[in-house]
Amino acid sequence: MTGRAPRRRVLRALAALPLAGLAGACSAPQAPPPADAIVFRHPKLFGDPQPLDTLVGLFGRAHGVRVRRETLPASSDEQHLFYAINLRARSRAFDVLALDTIWVAEFARAGWLRDLSHAISASDRADLFHAPLASVSWEARQYALPWFADAGLLYYRADLLAAQGLAAPRTWTDLVDAVRRVKRVRPDLHGFVWQGKQYEGLVCNALEFIWGHGGDLDRPAEPAVRGLAFMRALVTAGVTPPFVTTLTEEPARVLFGRGKALFLRNWPYAWRLLERSGSPLQRRVGVCPLPHASGHATASALGGWHLGVNAFSERAAIAERLAAFLAAAPAQKALALAYGYSPPRRSLYADPELAAAQPFLASIGTVIETARPRPVSPYYVALSQTLQSEFSAVLAGVRTPSEALAAIARERRALASP
Amino acid sequence: MIRRLGTWLGLAAACAWSLAPFAWQVLTSVKPQAELESLPPLLPSTITLVHYEAVFAGHPFAHLLLNSFAVAACATALALALGSLAGFALAKLRPPGRAATLAAVVVLSMLPPVATVSPLFLLAGAAGLRDTLTGLALVYAGFALPLAVWLMAQFFRSVPDDLYIAARVDGCSLLGAFGKVMLPLAVPGLTATGLLVFVFCWNEFLFALTLTSSTAARTVPVGIALFPGIHEVPWGEIAAASVVATAPLVLLAAVFQRRVLDGLTAGAVKG
Amino acid sequence: MSARRLRPDAWALMAPALLVLAAVTALPTGYVVWLSLNERALFRAEDFVGLGHYLRLAGDARFWNALGNTLYFAAVSVALELALGLAIALLLARAGRARAFAYGAVLVPWAVPTVVSARIWEWIYNPELGVLGYLAGTPVNWLGDPVLALHAAIAMDVWKSTPFVALLLLAGLQGVPRDLLRAAAVDGAGAWTTFRRITLPMLAPVILVAAVFRTIDALRVFDAVYVLTGGGPANATETLSIYAYRVLFQMLDFGYGSALAVAMLAIAGIAALAYARLLRGGME
Repeated sequence: MTGRAPRRRVLRALAALPLAGLAGACSAPQAPPPADAIVFRHPKLFGDPQPLDTLVGLFGRAHGVRVRRETLPASSDEQHLFYAINLRARSRAFDVLALDTIWVAEFARAGWLRDLSHAISASDRADLFHAPLASVSWEARQYALPWFADAGLLYYRADLLAAQGLAAPRTWTDLVDAVRRVKRVRPDLHGFVWQGKQYEGLVCNALEFIWGHGGDLDRPAEPAVRGLAFMRALVTAGVTPPFVTTLTEEPARVLFGRGKALFLRNWPYAWRLLERSGSPLQRRVGVCPLPHASGHATASALGGWHLGVNAFSERAAIAERLAAFLAAAPAQKALALAYGYSPPRRSLYADPELAAAQPFLASIGTVIETARPRPVSPYYVALSQTLQSEFSAVLAGVRTPSEALAAIARERRALASP
Repeated sequence: MIRRLGTWLGLAAACAWSLAPFAWQVLTSVKPQAELESLPPLLPSTITLVHYEAVFAGHPFAHLLLNSFAVAACATALALALGSLAGFALAKLRPPGRAATLAAVVVLSMLPPVATVSPLFLLAGAAGLRDTLTGLALVYAGFALPLAVWLMAQFFRSVPDDLYIAARVDGCSLLGAFGKVMLPLAVPGLTATGLLVFVFCWNEFLFALTLTSSTAARTVPVGIALFPGIHEVPWGEIAAASVVATAPLVLLAAVFQRRVLDGLTAGAVKG
Repeated sequence: MSARRLRPDAWALMAPALLVLAAVTALPTGYVVWLSLNERALFRAEDFVGLGHYLRLAGDARFWNALGNTLYFAAVSVALELALGLAIALLLARAGRARAFAYGAVLVPWAVPTVVSARIWEWIYNPELGVLGYLAGTPVNWLGDPVLALHAAIAMDVWKSTPFVALLLLAGLQGVPRDLLRAAAVDGAGAWTTFRRITLPMLAPVILVAAVFRTIDALRVFDAVYVLTGGGPANATETLSIYAYRVLFQMLDFGYGSALAVAMLAIAGIAALAYARLLRGGME
């Protein structure tokens, strides 16, 4: 019997460990957020959180509420997964949601977003760009407030092009020629990097190739086939490195930012990171609209974020006010000054202070205004599953453009007929 | 002599293969940011802890660690309590139909998690347990129970029947005999089982991703998989977070090496 | 005291465990089968559709692709894990003084959380900054090429899971009677002959058990590959679990997603049946 005493002590110690956890679990982290806090979910900021905190703090003091910011996961697909899981379960864990431009129709039809039509005044409607406003609309009602807008841009190494006596490319042929010319003197350089991983970003890139060749998912396939064939040919011709199939926005930007590539397709955010102090490319980068096939027009995919209010929120009234506050012109201007976020309002591109502080932003107003939305549909995410895998298959060379487009057309028909 | 040398070389290779990837992550976590953006250098010029600071300052990572610990501890406690009772009953009381019960337990342990995640999502929502640590702990305990029952049955089987019968003859109640005589003898088995269950809970991703949403209930694997970073690739921070998430397990495995080995092999080899 | 009098209590002791098991595993399993017979998607009227989803499954190229990926992933990774695991087990058995260290080292991949191991390998495979491309001397598109990517995922799984196999086999090795090996040595049998004629046959049951455990685990692989590649490129690494999860929670189609989940159940069931058969065979 005596031999058991120490054993029992061990046992007790062992039992105490989980029990301590049990006590911790039941007391500490489970408490719901205090009633006076509203939760704002948004994608990670690319920069110091201070300016947004100041803005949000301003609102909180004016209305006597506490606002807690929570960051969304990294990629658009993971973010959608997060919202879909939680809104399907009627979660109240967040009140104000930042929404990717492609989700509003789906969430609105599902009844997850409050109708915010009344929060957009007539003067707002006149001021906002058309495409962002269209993408927050579902059956003629607005379910989110346009927050900022994105569009695909071409970044190029102005120094290297100038050394060859080349101007910024206007057509895809110009770009391919420029890569060939520069590679002759700089064989170590990658030509043109963009976003080719199987994810939402690839859909934007592929649609830009299709649109820039005069194609469209809605119209006969011939120009679209040329667009996708061109995308694949970029890799086979050595203009784009094969590992483009792993690149998302930031790895591509880092690669270009280290001086390893001649051209980069990316969103406006990249400009500030390429031009910030310490960047090896400071004052050596140029930006222009995306090239197009000759005889066609440039076309950028519309990106960007909107602010919606969770339909299940218990603090909807104040959440609505926060969304309206953050999406109003003064807050958008502050965010544009601090983060270089491109606002979706015409008036701000004419704002002298903004133009002086962010000349780059002022210069891309037209690109943003004319950017084309991806299909606006409650079924977009389901369609995107097919778009992502088909475009990825074309890019990897395991499927021809016409096969992919046929599969996409089939899926669109299946989604249209419930 | 040559054979001996071969053994040593082989062992060295096996250890290197096992350790190198994690070691590389450790190195990555202490490299200055500038050196992460090019290769070479392989080794950091100076050791920096900025990535660790960033993980704890910029994200609710400490909270996730606490959640993970709480969920894993609760689930382990529950699985051990229920598993040892059931394992004891199966091994020592030999009820009729115990073979079928054990077989059912084994089959349940083979369920693919993705097959039950959608019903559990709906059920947890209906029961108000979604996005709570309690709900997650219950699910984990349920998924770890087959392993716990099976292992504890194995361990109890190796305790002689006489001790239990003697206790009952001495007038101990059933639970008394279980608690005072059998359980203390099964401490090694409990430790081994507890370790395996704890590791399972600490690592679980699918249910944590689906059944939780707020920082208040998220666990570490979800935090690492969904590391925010839409416009920066925080390789250094991911590495630091990985090291922090793994260190407790590596430590546990090192301290309780013997027990872990017992647990890993008991079910399969004796079975 | 007769044994019979003790029996009725047995079910009372097992009841709590069985109750939790029923609630968390058995009940949802029944529910998922029911869901798979129903329409339960966003924007669609709820409706009983019988085997409709299974008919759709049969014609769904993405399902067959995911099934193929899953089977290939399981077959290759388990084969490699068994081979490597056996080699490591044989080495560990002769580790002598280095034993504690070697065991500890081999346990490290086992202790690394799956999600973390995916992050570790994602970084190692990075096309520009990855150490593997650096060691290879030329950048390799590990995760961006459809053929390489699946094998890169397999290599990660082999790294993570070989320790389990090795330690299992090591325990089995320790069950091989020393006398038998000594006798073989006295008879002049070489190392290879001893291994093939004595060690391997004695080890066969343990190898089978390890194979089945690992196969069942590999067939349901989710987090490792989901975090490493997300299923791309060109769906080359999309496993059944990933596809089912996408349909369930990205598209919120609980009907068709549940049919995919039931297909996974069926596959796990076949593997479990094989396991039961083996166990019975092993005991006879």
